[in-house]
Amino acid sequence: MRQQMEEALLKSDVEYAEIRIEDESKSWANFRGVALDSVGSSKTVGGMVRALYKGAWGYADFNDLKNLKVRVKEACESAKLIGKDKSKLARVEPVQHMTRFLLEKDFRNIPLSEKISVIQEYNDILLNYHEKIETTNVMYRDSFRKIWYANTEGTYIEDERPYATAYISATAKDGDNIQPGRESIGSSAGFQVVEGLHEKAEKAAKRAVDLLAAPPVKGGKYTVVTNPRLTGVFAHEAFGHLSESDFVYENERMKEIMVLGRRFGPNNLNIIDDGSFPDQQGTLKYDDEGVKTRQNYLIKDGILVGRLHSRETAATMGESVTGNARALAYHNEPIVRMTNTYINKGQSAFDDMIKDVKLGIYALDMIGGQTTMEMFTFSAGYAYMIRDGQICELIRDVVLTGNVFNTLMNIDMIGDDLQWAPGGPGGCGKGGQSGLTVGIGGPHIRIQDVVVGGRQ
Amino acid sequence: MIVEKIVEKAMKKAQGASAVLRRIKSDDIAFENDKLKSAKSSQSTAINLRVILDGKEGSSQTTDINDIDGLVERTLEVAEFGSKVHFDFPPFQEAPEVKVYDESVNDVNKDEMVNTSQEMMDIVKSYNSDILLHSGVEKSVRSAEYANSSGCQFSMQGTGFGMYVYGSWIRGTDILHAGHGFSWRKREVDHKAIAEKAVEFFRMAENTAKISSGEMSVIFLPQSIDVLLLALRMGFNGKNVFLGASPLAGKLGQKITDERFSLTDDPLIDYADNSGPYDSEGVTHQRTPLIENGTAVNFLYDLETAGKAGTKSTGNGPGCNPSNLVIDTGNTSYEQMIKDTKEGLIVNSVIGLGQGNPISGEFSVNVQLGYKIENGEVVGRVKDTMLAGNTYHALNNIESIGDKTEWNYGGVLTPTIKIKNLSIISK
Repeated sequence: MRQQMEEALLKSDVEYAEIRIEDESKSWANFRGVALDSVGSSKTVGGMVRALYKGAWGYADFNDLKNLKVRVKEACESAKLIGKDKSKLARVEPVQHMTRFLLEKDFRNIPLSEKISVIQEYNDILLNYHEKIETTNVMYRDSFRKIWYANTEGTYIEDERPYATAYISATAKDGDNIQPGRESIGSSAGFQVVEGLHEKAEKAAKRAVDLLAAPPVKGGKYTVVTNPRLTGVFAHEAFGHLSESDFVYENERMKEIMVLGRRFGPNNLNIIDDGSFPDQQGTLKYDDEGVKTRQNYLIKDGILVGRLHSRETAATMGESVTGNARALAYHNEPIVRMTNTYINKGQSAFDDMIKDVKLGIYALDMIGGQTTMEMFTFSAGYAYMIRDGQICELIRDVVLTGNVFNTLMNIDMIGDDLQWAPGGPGGCGKGGQSGLTVGIGGPHIRIQDVVVGGRQ
Repeated sequence: MIVEKIVEKAMKKAQGASAVLRRIKSDDIAFENDKLKSAKSSQSTAINLRVILDGKEGSSQTTDINDIDGLVERTLEVAEFGSKVHFDFPPFQEAPEVKVYDESVNDVNKDEMVNTSQEMMDIVKSYNSDILLHSGVEKSVRSAEYANSSGCQFSMQGTGFGMYVYGSWIRGTDILHAGHGFSWRKREVDHKAIAEKAVEFFRMAENTAKISSGEMSVIFLPQSIDVLLLALRMGFNGKNVFLGASPLAGKLGQKITDERFSLTDDPLIDYADNSGPYDSEGVTHQRTPLIENGTAVNFLYDLETAGKAGTKSTGNGPGCNPSNLVIDTGNTSYEQMIKDTKEGLIVNSVIGLGQGNPISGEFSVNVQLGYKIENGEVVGRVKDTMLAGNTYHALNNIESIGDKTEWNYGGVLTPTIKIKNLSIISK
């Protein structure tokens, strides 16, 4: 492969070009209710050539690997057609690197029958948990991606990116009232991570049934305490996306807003993105431009100190590369993405966060979130009311919203209990590339004056 | 056809098989931050094989057209552990006429795409040069070949053409995103009208308005209709109905919305995004009314789910998902809807949709772009505002339905809908 790629790159007649090729094998199984709903496998081979000429990119993506040289030409022609400006690409030392993943239990050697029987056990737990459990959705999925990367500067990387995930969801029903209970896990460590999830299955079923009796949250402004998993989504949505410099690098107004040194949060707030943090959802040795990943402080002691870059955004802004150019799949171009984003731990004990809250919400786990830079939402899997310092009744439909320019400042306590979220089948979406695995984490945090949607 | 050979090979061991080969060639250009930034050419090939072996089904995919033997082998392997089947692959049926191919899309070159995009940007810039723009044009040519073991085989060709212009207007720390886009199967698109619509959405947001928390009328523009439609997409899915996960299970023939509300799944509209003669299981497409004058009349089915539920596929396979959704018009003009509102909200776009318990009908979303109405007039953009409600409750509280329909991209054709008394929480 290497020789083929390097020979094809010789056809490049632009300033910079690269080829990324991917071979992905997937398998999956899915129970819906009592029945196995689908079982399958897929094999995908494809690639992309990216060419830079006078500030513009030409892309060619393909499944057919036979004519790599033609694809290189095609990408170069596209770039030359539109390039009229000046190219900017941060310098990085060329590297030669090969990653081999040693999976503790390699899911490629596990027969499909075993994958099915593992999740069947979870499905049975859900189905037998309670008469109000109406149906289930229990899924197993694995993917092994082998990636080859070469560019005209002499970098050559072979990478392996395995991922196995399980999703366990129960639906409880009482008349028109339908409530979900969901648990998930995902990891690159091997098949063993999806084994032994019987307790998670039980938790999912219990939550679905419990939520049937839970009232919807009353809309309003609350003091909110988030658990570590939800704190992770908060860090990702509330600030992570805003620090992706492709939103900033060619936008003078955004540069004014996102000026380094600006205060965004209290003194004890630290937000970090770190692709080199071991064994998390967004862990990578090199990003999809061949740049080594590293720890990047975004907010340190409440002050904006850094942002996430591709080689192009780093050069344009005159800042250092960070290793954050990631492509979802072979046919996607690398764009600035987060890796593992977390709020660092503080000093508050959980009990102290709750005890003086008169009326608030303890919000746990996440369904998801979304941002438009200034405003953002994040949804809790479930939540409890806090009344007079006590955690009280379970409530449902808790979607929180914030504004980056005041919500971070409203964080008044940061817990001492940093944890990472367990991953799952979903991921982050941006620019048409949805489902990118990212790590999210943090401690419990307390935020004042959070707007929560709902009826009054 | 290659798919015939694949089916033939699979049938040496299997009792049923179907294969689809899809090829897509597409080109796009994109402006970012006012600058021409990228041009892309894509080629993709994918083969999907399903087999039935001893009453069980397995499926497999490959992108390698030379890996037919491997594909067949892997699919048979999977089927051994597969799910029990309740259907046969369909024999050939003559499909209804629907146009999805436009020869002239082939002739569009990248220069023309650049010009179209530039013209859209010029229109927005001439309204306000402070708005930083992203814009692009995409075209595609797709083909699909289908064959199964019941003797059905056909091939289809389609084209796609679309464009967008979006921008951000930043004043201090106030960030406003707005824009517009459209895509369908035909070259003929009024790109200037798209840009003018984008301008209108910016113009309405020139001022910022405070909205009070409470219950009030909310107008959903075609651009935001998914807030109301998401639950229905999931609720009319025959698989969710069969499993009891849909709140509509058992409600066919019952009134579920206001009588003025009618909804149809229609894959036979010429040049619409999700149109075509057949679904991906070789079943002919059909128009399926879902809600007629407020009454639930049909659910959507694929082969397997229909087999289990004892009904027929509606051509929504596999997956039982809708194709193009069409909502019938009412008789109130958009201007009148605004005039009739003392205090209310117009919703253009939201964030956080679907991130809760959408199948139940509940929604709780941040109004990314929405406008306040005061005494019959649009006074400005609202911010930091949550909108919450339940789709089924909302559709029983329709105040009025617009007298014109508009495409929300190329897959939903809908009028503007005004709902009474939805909950707003604002900071």
